[in-house]
Amino acid sequence: MAQETLFLKNTEAFAESLARCGVKYHFAYPITPATDVMKRMAVILPAYGGEMMQMESELAVSSALAGAACTGKLVATSSSGPGLTLMHEAIGFMCAAELPCLLVDSMRVGPGDGDILGAQSDYYVATRGGAHGDYHTIVLAPSSGQEIADIVPTGIKLAYTYRTPVLFVIDGVSAQTTESTTLPAYHDYSAEFDTAGWAFTGTQDHPKRALITGSYSHQDGYDLNEKLRAKYATIREKEQLWEQEQTEDAEIVVVAFGIHGRMCRDLVAKMRAEGKKVGFIRPISLWPFPELAFAGLPDSVKNILVVEMNHGQMVDDVRLAVNGRIPVHFLGKTGGDMPMNTLAEMIAEANRILGE
Amino acid sequence: MENLSAKYGKTLNLDKLTSYCPGCGHGIVTRLVAEAIESLGIMSRTISIVGIGCGGFSHHYMDIDAIEATHGRSPSFAIGYKLARPDNIVFTYAGDGDTCAIGLGDLMHAANKGMPITTIMVNNTVFGMTGGQMSPTTLEGQVTTTTTKGRAVPHQGYPLLVPEMMRAMPGVKYLARESVATPKDVRKAKKSIRKAFECQVKGLGYAFVEVIVPCPTGLKMNVKDSYARCGNEMTDYFKPQVFKDETEQSDVA
Repeated sequence: MAQETLFLKNTEAFAESLARCGVKYHFAYPITPATDVMKRMAVILPAYGGEMMQMESELAVSSALAGAACTGKLVATSSSGPGLTLMHEAIGFMCAAELPCLLVDSMRVGPGDGDILGAQSDYYVATRGGAHGDYHTIVLAPSSGQEIADIVPTGIKLAYTYRTPVLFVIDGVSAQTTESTTLPAYHDYSAEFDTAGWAFTGTQDHPKRALITGSYSHQDGYDLNEKLRAKYATIREKEQLWEQEQTEDAEIVVVAFGIHGRMCRDLVAKMRAEGKKVGFIRPISLWPFPELAFAGLPDSVKNILVVEMNHGQMVDDVRLAVNGRIPVHFLGKTGGDMPMNTLAEMIAEANRILGE
Repeated sequence: MENLSAKYGKTLNLDKLTSYCPGCGHGIVTRLVAEAIESLGIMSRTISIVGIGCGGFSHHYMDIDAIEATHGRSPSFAIGYKLARPDNIVFTYAGDGDTCAIGLGDLMHAANKGMPITTIMVNNTVFGMTGGQMSPTTLEGQVTTTTTKGRAVPHQGYPLLVPEMMRAMPGVKYLARESVATPKDVRKAKKSIRKAFECQVKGLGYAFVEVIVPCPTGLKMNVKDSYARCGNEMTDYFKPQVFKDETEQSDVA
């Protein structure tokens, strides 16, 4: 496939980007607002020599994903909140088993069966994890079709460098937005990594390998956790990603990811035009959280406003990052006919804080 | 000293000390699986995907690559694996608890998909590793640590007949229930297990063998009595038979 610019839904941008960057096998179960990823994968993957396999539940999806990941090949899935909840058994397993794979969560309103409207309600479950044990999943949050196309290669490199699942999260509003995206020419990024040293492909070229996440001795459990701890420390140190604008002299910094992060550009432009000293930070990696962005904020910053399409999840990480140094405010909503705050509401809240 | 590799082949790792309890039926089934792999010459491309429970130990006695899956999910792991590497031979091996309690959904859909995968379900009618609790295949009236007055079928259900549930699925090409109660039964089980692998080598479709075995520890019985139970009460209910054998079809792989 050659590079081309298409006007398409961002769920479809995910499918195109995954396939063009080397995903061969995609496992999924229908769920709004993520179904368009699997639908497009079903159509396009055969041309790449791959296949989309529809499973009977997200539990089975994630288990099949784990089984396929054992081969070292690049595999992916796509879902939304309730499906992601079911997948956590295998996500925790793959973190322990050190299996690379890609997951897409097109976030909708929760909890329970929730609502099919877009939301950012899965920040906690994505970054904290819904499975047992001390593990982390790398979480990347693109905010546009172009950023999806640009960040998928990064996700693949992270998945294979660290041999761990990488989860892309996108609010369902951005996921269903149709916009122009320049899709890359075909290049299998996973082929840049040698999996022969660990993949479970049969003993023709290596002595018996066994994938074991259980502890046959208590020392096994200790050793596995220490190995993971060291890996996560490296990821935290090296892989923080964020966008930051006009924070050098800012009095207030707005922090948001996904669609609210994208709106921050307009917010800053409008408020700066009125002479307000406003900047923004848009976390792109939600885990590892971009703490470095906050460590570098100047003393001029007197307040931080976090805006989310939920009742306050990422705001916890912002508070941890500033550790009491700067007051942190929150604006957010979830559900309803307009499932997010408008730009006007964001600006009004920033002005209210500035006026205090 | 006798050359055991010459007798049993390279697949079976005879140097590994067994962690199966004395009299456990898993030892026999594990050996039969290793012998089937050996006789078909597929050792270096065969992958064992094991469940949680005593069946999870089985791969340690075979010099082949292995994946210890999450509890009950080995059939779904196998689907993913086989899709990505169709030339490998993939089999799942687990007990009745893993296969038909927590894993029944994964199992039935894997069978119905009909991909060339082999499943060995070792049925001893209890959760062995956790100390003898009721499983879906626990017999009516059977005393376990969670059915202290015996399994009461009105609300605990009847012992699950798993291969019978797959019988009508066209994607299932070899389907059998065997036992290890007597040497004669073991020889029949050996034949069925070999056919279940042959079915996959030929690329025909899904193959399933349930093997009825004793669990002296979980049943709190001596070995002799547990084998007698295996050959009587257990096989009276779980009747050994070949339900379906379509392995004589020509090679479609």
